[in-house]
Amino acid sequence: MNKLGFSEEQRDCLQEIINVAMGLASDKLARFLNTFVHLQVPSIALVGAMHIPEEFENRYQDAEAALVSQGFFGDEGVRGEAIVLYQMENAHKISALLGYEPGDVSEIEMLTDISSILTTTFLNGLASQIENSLSYSAPRILSSRHGNVADVLKNTSFHWEHALKVDISYQLIDHSFNCDMILLIPGEAVTNIKHILDRILEAY
Amino acid sequence: MSHAMLSSPVLAQLNSGVIVVDDEYNIHYLNTFIERHGNLQLAEVAGKSLFSVFADLPEAWLKRKLMSVLDLKTPAFSSWEQRQYIFKLPHLRPITSSSQYMAQNCTMLPLDTGVHEQPLICILIEDATDAFVYQQHLSRTLIELEKANRQDGLTKVQNRRYWEEQLKQEIHRAQRYQHSLSLILFDLDKFKDLNDKYGHLGGDFVLVELSSFIGSLLRDSDLLGRYGGEEFGIILPDTGLEGAEEVAERICRAVADYPMLFNQQTIRATLSIGVAEFEPKQHFLHDDLIRCADMALYNAKRSGRNRVCCYQAGETDYHKKAN
Repeated sequence: MNKLGFSEEQRDCLQEIINVAMGLASDKLARFLNTFVHLQVPSIALVGAMHIPEEFENRYQDAEAALVSQGFFGDEGVRGEAIVLYQMENAHKISALLGYEPGDVSEIEMLTDISSILTTTFLNGLASQIENSLSYSAPRILSSRHGNVADVLKNTSFHWEHALKVDISYQLIDHSFNCDMILLIPGEAVTNIKHILDRILEAY
Repeated sequence: MSHAMLSSPVLAQLNSGVIVVDDEYNIHYLNTFIERHGNLQLAEVAGKSLFSVFADLPEAWLKRKLMSVLDLKTPAFSSWEQRQYIFKLPHLRPITSSSQYMAQNCTMLPLDTGVHEQPLICILIEDATDAFVYQQHLSRTLIELEKANRQDGLTKVQNRRYWEEQLKQEIHRAQRYQHSLSLILFDLDKFKDLNDKYGHLGGDFVLVELSSFIGSLLRDSDLLGRYGGEEFGIILPDTGLEGAEEVAERICRAVADYPMLFNQQTIRATLSIGVAEFEPKQHFLHDDLIRCADMALYNAKRSGRNRVCCYQAGETDYHKKAN
């Protein structure tokens, strides 16, 4: 690993914080959406920016996918972007999930709504554990139906070499709806997070 | 001056709207921006329901959003791209913008004041009218560009590329729904002579004049395109050979009887016209149908011009001799 790499303690600490944040988020979501939310243990990895489009392409090769991005930023240089990916065959299930009447809102609005809810519930849980608070940009659709996910990402210039990638898969049991959330935290912010982790580790 | 003292005048100057409501949707605060744009006074509306003060709000939709803010303690968003505005407010460009109401980006935030026990929500309203207006310009420009991309520059009928695309689609439709479909190809007779006699401007004038005249003789569903030089095509959906021949005869006679005035001179032109009907078993490509109509057109030329020839099934080659 390069200089951005985490020590084993830092890594464990981050994994624990993320696991707890997910627990908090799934509890909130389950109550709000009135359904069971199944979350897998999130995986954490340090990735090179150049590999990201390729990875998305492999993952969503055969499906029409929508991709919604939402930026977040907080104190102490914590910032990044959360990307939620849906397979479009899932999209119609979202309206029922959010309690919208058919034709009530556009597909895009449903996607941005559910993305924002998934992203911010999780990140608020994460922020509270590191005694931070986050602000969010409005969610934006990067691509849907007609756009190819990998093409969109290739055209998005990444201004960093490495990013911390947190992969979370949401599954809502009753609605057989699932989506993936990927947190990308660019290089400099990773260093800032390491400082925060060190402080937490010291306190124990 | 303390920071708290500064925030009040800054809030008053802010070019964004701020509204604070509680969990029963009663108004606790609104800033000067909202007072001015909504023609309201905070003192008069404080404590009143948001939905009675702003009667035009999408109530069910907004309540659902605000509920998620309270339940999840997370922000909710609304973009002008999906919902042009939530609050019907005039915008800051009353003269230079075509839209009547302020396009808005709205953020609804859980508000933790530390003192209030009742949960509060802060609604931030940003004026996105400029972005909305730019987007409208862009959309209009794209529509114009698309139109220009389909049109023949001189005659304003469909250009060859687009017309051939339409032909492919019509063939596809005819195949799928077993509709009839015919094609007319026509060519101006002795166009070179016209050019020699009246100059290229005269020739161009005839092309423009006839395109518009022939267009006026067609049904809305018929598709006229410039195939090349002085050759044009008409796609006739839901039309058999007989019907297409009738249309062709009518065009042929009408053009021959249509005097065109150019530089105080009357120009007369005639057409040779070929007609072919789409045969699903023979025409696999749109080129096949064009070739058949072209053969008929060639025969019309060879048999003396200013006339209509129909493609006969089984014909595989051009007539060798004019009759």
